[in-house]
Amino acid sequence: MSNSSEMSDFARQQAEFQRGILDGDDTVLSEILDSPREKRDTLFGVYRYAYGSRLVDAMRNDHELLHLYLGDEMFDEMGHAYVKARPSEHPNLRWFSQGLPDFLKSAEPYSNHPVLSDLAALEKALNDAFDAKEGPVVDLSGMAGFSPEAWPDLEFVPHPSAFRLDLVTNASAVWLALKSEETPPDAAVLEEPARLLIWRQDTTPMFRELSAEEAMMWDEAANGVPFGVLCEMLATYDDPDGAAARGAGYLHGWITSQLLTGVSTGA
Amino acid sequence: MNVASRLPDSSAAALADRPMQTAKPPFLGFGLGLRHQHYDEILNGNPDIDWFEVISENYMIPGGQPLRTLDLIRERYPVVMHGVSLSIASTAPPNFEYLQGLKDLARRVEPKWISDHLCWTGVHGKNLHDLLPIPYTSEALDHVVSRVQLVQDFLGRALVLENVSTYVQFNNSEMTEWEFLSELSRRSGCWLLFDINNVYVSAFNHGYDPLTFLNGIPADRVVQFHMAGHSHMGTHIIDTHDHPVCEDVWDLYVAALKRFGRVSTMIERDDNIPPLAELLEEVNRTREIADKVLPAAGTHVG
Repeated sequence: MSNSSEMSDFARQQAEFQRGILDGDDTVLSEILDSPREKRDTLFGVYRYAYGSRLVDAMRNDHELLHLYLGDEMFDEMGHAYVKARPSEHPNLRWFSQGLPDFLKSAEPYSNHPVLSDLAALEKALNDAFDAKEGPVVDLSGMAGFSPEAWPDLEFVPHPSAFRLDLVTNASAVWLALKSEETPPDAAVLEEPARLLIWRQDTTPMFRELSAEEAMMWDEAANGVPFGVLCEMLATYDDPDGAAARGAGYLHGWITSQLLTGVSTGA
Repeated sequence: MNVASRLPDSSAAALADRPMQTAKPPFLGFGLGLRHQHYDEILNGNPDIDWFEVISENYMIPGGQPLRTLDLIRERYPVVMHGVSLSIASTAPPNFEYLQGLKDLARRVEPKWISDHLCWTGVHGKNLHDLLPIPYTSEALDHVVSRVQLVQDFLGRALVLENVSTYVQFNNSEMTEWEFLSELSRRSGCWLLFDINNVYVSAFNHGYDPLTFLNGIPADRVVQFHMAGHSHMGTHIIDTHDHPVCEDVWDLYVAALKRFGRVSTMIERDDNIPPLAELLEEVNRTREIADKVLPAAGTHVG
């Protein structure tokens, strides 16, 4: 197109209009008319107000329980701080609040309360599971075809919605209390992180806490480590004689929870 | 060998008017904006709604319940895709990732048409998630015409563009909004979505007669009406789409039917979503009024 190197009037005007909304710059007002009934700054103010309020609304929608936890006033203050710090760069509002856990972890005063970042991370993970990619689901009958000799070589592919999240606080207990409209426990930093597995079962996002042993097996299985080696690894965590049975037990749980999308005897 | 000299002159192609010649989209009857609050009631009840309009961005996601539900609804009802992020009037480069996502969704949904708004949503990599106004200048018109042509070529179909509610006017505008829309449609071949509430809101905010707007739009280019509610602030109206359609907008609907004839019409509620039955009453009213105003045209589909 012509004159792409020099900024057109139209482009300059859009840049100023945007600065007027994002930074409160009034330059663009000189190119805007008063209406028959109202002054231009009030009219332009409709856009200024709508910008922050629409984005904070989207955050309320994505983080219902964090909103409940903080209350209207604190949530909105936090929301506007996030809007200011991280303007949207994606055309789809769906992805606007993706950076919230990270923001809450790094920005004061929120970073002084790690339960906030954890709670936001758990809600984000559940939202992501809700509309994650589809994938086939392995069921128990699908396992029947493998001979006992093939089992040590079995490799597993997690469902696209499955996600592991470690939390340093009791945010999952806070989440459960808020979800069932009970008073949440006092926030607390845990002695060791809680290992959560988040996924979608049919259309419902789910999460549960894993033991250190099961979390290790899940993470390694997701890395492509075959079942035989996983059992050897389990043997280092607890009673070695029961390792294969424990491994089979975890696997059974994953399959009945629709957590796996593929099982094969490797390459 | 100079390869470039043998290629078509792309800058000239971009500047020349190439109105896309497409058959006018069909009359779909009287529809409703699909909202997730009504999914179960629609799937379990098969309500008497002729068609649904879906917000494209709500389904431009990897998977899960929204897309599965949309698959079921499109098996039973005609569907139209309505976007909010095309940003057709932005001076920033087009977002081709977004356009590809839109095209992929259209392949899945097979919508009767794809619409968005005559507006921009951001520049310099930012997205304000609002339908922002433009000056009605010949520079802006040339720019938007070339963008519409590009998007139509990319999608392989004509676009439908909607007038937005605006709160400000620019002092450098050289024409009216209806002149801009008419020229845009004539030069690019895009169709128009006439939002009757937005005309009412903008007319009040800028102090002109909504009928002047209505009569300034070419009668044969409008393929859809939106009906919605708003919030009156005394000195100006904010287009909140969170109220029932008001009586003044119903009156304007009658005038629109008289000018544009039989046009696919839908109730668009974006916030403060009431039970489906309440919106069905409004859908029925769009049908009843059309039957009364256009008895001979036949407002029933099929």
